[in-house]
Amino acid sequence: MLSFKKDKKPSTAKFKLSYIAMLIVLVLLAISALPNLYPNKSWLHISAAAHSETQSLPSTKTLVTFLNNQGLEVEQGLDKQSTINVLLNEPTKSAQAQAAIKAQYPNTQVKVVEHATSPTWLQNFGLSPIKLGLDLNGGVLFVLDVDLDKAVDEQLVSAYQQAKSIIIKQKAHGVKAQQTQHGFEINALPNATDKLTPVIEELQSRFANLAVVTSNNGSVKAAKFSYSEQGRSSFDKEVMGQTLTTLRSRIEELGITEAVTQQQGKHRIRIELPGVQDPNEAKRIIGATASLGFYQLKEIGGQTFNMQSGGTIKLDPVPIFTGDHINNANIGRDDWGKPLVQLSLDSQGGDAMSAFSKANIGKPMATVYSEYSQNAKGEVVKKSEVINVANIAQHLSSRFSITNMKSQQAAADLALLLRAGSLTAPVTIVHEQTIGPSLGQENISNGLAALMLGMGITLAFMALWYRRLGLIANVALILNLTSLVGLMSLLPGVVLTLPGIAGLVLTIGMAVDTNVIIFERIKEERRQGRAPYQAIQEGYKQAANTIFDANITTMITALILYGIGYGPVKGFAITLALGLLTSVFTGVYVSKILSQTLYLKMGKKAGVKAHA
Amino acid sequence: MLNYFLKGEAGTRLRFMGMLLSAMLVLLSVFTLTQKGLNFGLDFTGGYLTEFTTSQSVELKELQSFIAENHNGEFELTAQGNSHFQLREAPSASTTANSLDWQSAVTQNDDINAQVLSSAYIGSQVGDELFDQGCLAMFAAMIAVMIYLAVRFEWRLALGSVVALVHDLILVLGLFSLLQIEFNLTVLASLLAIIGYSLNDSIIVGDRVRELLRVQSNNVLSPATIINNAIKSTLTRTLITSGTTLATVASVWLLAGAPLQGFAIALFTGIVVGTFSSICIAATLPELLGLSAKNYEVKVDAHTQTLLNMP
Repeated sequence: MLSFKKDKKPSTAKFKLSYIAMLIVLVLLAISALPNLYPNKSWLHISAAAHSETQSLPSTKTLVTFLNNQGLEVEQGLDKQSTINVLLNEPTKSAQAQAAIKAQYPNTQVKVVEHATSPTWLQNFGLSPIKLGLDLNGGVLFVLDVDLDKAVDEQLVSAYQQAKSIIIKQKAHGVKAQQTQHGFEINALPNATDKLTPVIEELQSRFANLAVVTSNNGSVKAAKFSYSEQGRSSFDKEVMGQTLTTLRSRIEELGITEAVTQQQGKHRIRIELPGVQDPNEAKRIIGATASLGFYQLKEIGGQTFNMQSGGTIKLDPVPIFTGDHINNANIGRDDWGKPLVQLSLDSQGGDAMSAFSKANIGKPMATVYSEYSQNAKGEVVKKSEVINVANIAQHLSSRFSITNMKSQQAAADLALLLRAGSLTAPVTIVHEQTIGPSLGQENISNGLAALMLGMGITLAFMALWYRRLGLIANVALILNLTSLVGLMSLLPGVVLTLPGIAGLVLTIGMAVDTNVIIFERIKEERRQGRAPYQAIQEGYKQAANTIFDANITTMITALILYGIGYGPVKGFAITLALGLLTSVFTGVYVSKILSQTLYLKMGKKAGVKAHA
Repeated sequence: MLNYFLKGEAGTRLRFMGMLLSAMLVLLSVFTLTQKGLNFGLDFTGGYLTEFTTSQSVELKELQSFIAENHNGEFELTAQGNSHFQLREAPSASTTANSLDWQSAVTQNDDINAQVLSSAYIGSQVGDELFDQGCLAMFAAMIAVMIYLAVRFEWRLALGSVVALVHDLILVLGLFSLLQIEFNLTVLASLLAIIGYSLNDSIIVGDRVRELLRVQSNNVLSPATIINNAIKSTLTRTLITSGTTLATVASVWLLAGAPLQGFAIALFTGIVVGTFSSICIAATLPELLGLSAKNYEVKVDAHTQTLLNMP
């Protein structure tokens, strides 16, 4: 009797420790799942537009009355210091309200912002509900194709132009640049070979990714410039990174807060704009390629540009500074009421401008507006136009304005694009999708209904078929769903889509498999005459191998699906993969402990009964 | 009932008959696939897709002719319900203008009073890429799984599982071709899920076959009997799991709405034929290939043998 107790103790201690660890994991995941009971609400944030001259924010009361009159009933209107926050009765109409307010009060900025409604202690932990994909939330999707080949060509042409101007600047007589099929080359006559090296060095300091191959062609020394494979890939990376940054800040300028902007594949960018209903404005701004550069006029060796007013002009191919150095741009009107764009430069641009204008008072400076557009053949071409040439009247600093804008809209767009940065490579929209908010809502409720039904059938079946063990399976199943939802809320980058919900439903159906395999084993062991507790031990042990085999193949396909699929399909793969993890965890480990505890207690009770 | 049939020779006969049926179904599927092909969705063909509801129920034909008046290109209108329609256009550049014309016509007409639910544009190039990637994913998954099986199982059992898997995929594709159900990206995803689930069943049967071949001193029992026993002991599990999974897939089919219909149909079919093939192909083919207990005997070299033979 004593020896029995001695044997028992360590195993109970071990069992208790794993019990506690598992309990902690389950509780943590359950807490992470909690915020999903409090879905986010979309509020409208109305503030005075940053670049507007008049601080014309309507009073909260006026705004609420206006919205109510439009049939957009307001549930709550809050007056925060500089913004008005409004919650509509039907938050799906936020986009409609946003458009209405913008039309009525043009000098305001309206943003749709998601507010968490979960208790503050949950928010303090940094916990939030699962992010919903576009098909559940409603919104606009764009996939952009970035024309990297075009960007490389542009870069090579620009390098060639700059090479020519470097040669002139360095007075390297006998050195000549000329374009070739895959780039350009610089040739040096025998008496000028020593002048070639500084030109190459200067050029390489400006274009780090360019590869140089020097060769002697008879007595002529030639340096060929082109993109090596490595240089090209780092250039591509740079361009994609820059494009992403620019697009993100443009979307921010548009007042869209929850956007997802990410690279998809090698040369695509995927932009998801939840809550947006009219893709046209977003499309015009996102796809715009306009950029601005300021150039010095050049009589000799310059590059020829077209004038907007007609005719051509020769300019130094190296700009004094470009739109990249613009800190802020606002629209305004000149003395004659024509639209203009006021610029303020960053310190680098300011210095360049200051130095240049000081040395060139009385001389002209040209503003070049460039844009990519599709020609009749559908090819992307760059169009550069000189929009104005003005004499520098005085020593300019970091603030000045560009006049001669075509329209108010053109000025507003240019100001926005200058604030957000320009794109180095042309982009085209290859995939565009708009999902109405009501459809998203319908998808959610349909998906949830399917989940409930599937879950209900499974729970009922397990309880009827396996009775007591079935209850354990059902507890494991519910824990599985909670853990899965908790895990999905916890991991960043996991997005729930409609196929994702289908994956969730499937996981429920499949998760019982683990328990079925184990329970059938246990039954078999019982038939072979083992005691209940031993049969359970043996059943779990024997089934482990099979379960591992069966789940790993599904895991392989889920991972491949995740690696290759996009958007909704990726959502399905994530749910599938995480579901496998949680179902093995709850189905094998948690339910093992549950059944052991259950039978241990029952065994004790039975023992007591037997004694009595 | 089934248990009775699986006993002894009757069970074997049933398995072989099932295999014959499978072979016929595969032939039929391949035939429809080559004759009718698949009805590829927007994801793969590229183009414009607009989904809209009307305020009252409208006859498809009426709506068709109304839109035709306001549309000078080609389009395809399908009804999702009495007042729920989908319009699909080819991905040519000129349709952009068209699309606005007919859309304003149907939204402004008082009888139809349409409301656009969603719209999508996919460039044809993207569609091609998605298709290529889908095929790539499929092959990658199959090869990865095959490698795993070859390492884990004896080659006859592994081959049986893979053939069963290919069988399942062909039958699902055949059904989609026969009924001309739209084949889109989510259906492709469900095919990949089928790869996982179909193997799941086959592996569990195969696992048991392996176990029985090892455990029993089985020179007495024929491989056919061992396979029948293995199927018999896993049958309850197979039926329960397939049953609950089918129930959940069916609830997706019934309740999750049009976007997941194709997905649910594919998975439903996949699970049904997968269960069937795990018994009739995955377990039967190895028998034809000469699976026997000898494949699982522990190989003993001469030295150990002499040690064992020592008294």
